[in-house]
Amino acid sequence: MPDIASLIKALTGADAAARAESAEALCRAGTDAVAAAVPLVKACGDSDDQVREWAVAALEDLGAPPAAALTALTALAGDAQPLVAYWATTLLGRSGKAAAAATPALAKSLADSGDPAVAQRAAWALGKIGPAAAAAKPALERALAAADPRLARLAQEALTAIGG
Amino acid sequence: MCGLAAAWLIVCAAAAPAHGQYGAPAAAAPKPAGAITIASFNIQVFGESKMAKSQVVEVLARVVRNFDIVAIQEVRAKSDEIVPAFVRAINADGSRYHYVIGPRQGRTVSKEQYAFIYDTTRIEVDPSSVGVVPDPQNKLHRPPLHARFRTKITPAEMAFTFWLVDIHTDPDEVPQELEALTGVFQAMQAARPDEDDVILLGDLNAGPPEFKSFQRIPGVAWAVSGVTTNTRRTKTYDNLVFTRPATSEYLGGWGVLDLQSTFGLSLDQALEVSDHNPVWGAFYPAEVRGAGLPPMAGAAAPVRR
Repeated sequence: MPDIASLIKALTGADAAARAESAEALCRAGTDAVAAAVPLVKACGDSDDQVREWAVAALEDLGAPPAAALTALTALAGDAQPLVAYWATTLLGRSGKAAAAATPALAKSLADSGDPAVAQRAAWALGKIGPAAAAAKPALERALAAADPRLARLAQEALTAIGG
Repeated sequence: MCGLAAAWLIVCAAAAPAHGQYGAPAAAAPKPAGAITIASFNIQVFGESKMAKSQVVEVLARVVRNFDIVAIQEVRAKSDEIVPAFVRAINADGSRYHYVIGPRQGRTVSKEQYAFIYDTTRIEVDPSSVGVVPDPQNKLHRPPLHARFRTKITPAEMAFTFWLVDIHTDPDEVPQELEALTGVFQAMQAARPDEDDVILLGDLNAGPPEFKSFQRIPGVAWAVSGVTTNTRRTKTYDNLVFTRPATSEYLGGWGVLDLQSTFGLSLDQALEVSDHNPVWGAFYPAEVRGAGLPPMAGAAAPVRR
């Protein structure tokens, strides 16, 4: 099993090649890299495209993040870099109702994000949280009228999942 | 047809149970006249860093040389030189492969491209047929790349022609994307009145138990079942989907080329190549109408169910 702590440290180092190597190693670790969920999301904002691509690939296969990561991911869901916000939001959605505390942040992303993919993922994540995301119903109802057909569809699916 | 099974030995060896012991294949054997092999391979994050590893490129090239066409997923690079450089590596042994590649796709700044790499001595592509499946409702993270191919190892008037539809689904929206792909498949079936063969292949992030929406396609079938397709040998993600009897050219032969056992790699070495193993199916190279294949053709194919 790779030394995840060392790889996390290398992921934030000064050398881009070393960061890319670390991201790739974390990707190869599969779900064993789950402790690196937050650093990998942050790496989606790296200036080096290979670091970003390996971080994305690692996150695709990571599964749900640990509960201890949810607060940091909630903060990152509003990150100015869309790829960071997108993946933080995705991991929150994978957490389901355990991410209920992220509902206000996700509702804000849904309403305010200038990036369509982030807004769409926020709607998706709220649907994954389900009834515990009831506070987001007004934002989701507004999104039903969105010109973006995918956003409107995901908002409808989320409202159905939230119910009530 | 008797030569068919013998000439397939390399590919068949790779298709044997995942935990068998195999040496790495030597140079690709001459391909048989009685079948073509169509493969799908997700080459995880296929970009500059992977192409910089010569040992990885060598394994990838040896994989491709086993097949007549390989549908590639996950070309992820800013450079447009990744696939051309890879094809040069494949052809370094005298092979004559070429490729078609799609545009960068994805909802975020992290984009992927699909590609088809094919053996020009046995397969040709209709250049006007290459395109991306329209997705006006934005149901697919990376809409499939389609292209129509024809075999060259039978007279043109008899040649097997077929659509390939290359797809990599979003792992977080698999049921929705499989539902959309059901519509894509049916749209491709209707795309040309003179083409009944549609083979949708790729990384579906799902196995046959999750193919409920595909069941709405009359006669639907798939090649890979009951085995794992990822390098860690834990999931069935990759497949070839088609219909029977329309694609009666399918010979029943299929397999998973296990990177670890085929090339004698450790798990970590195999994961450097990809987190997916290639999957493949074998098809008769001439159009089959009416009564179907001569019995020997199907019998000679290595069947694994």
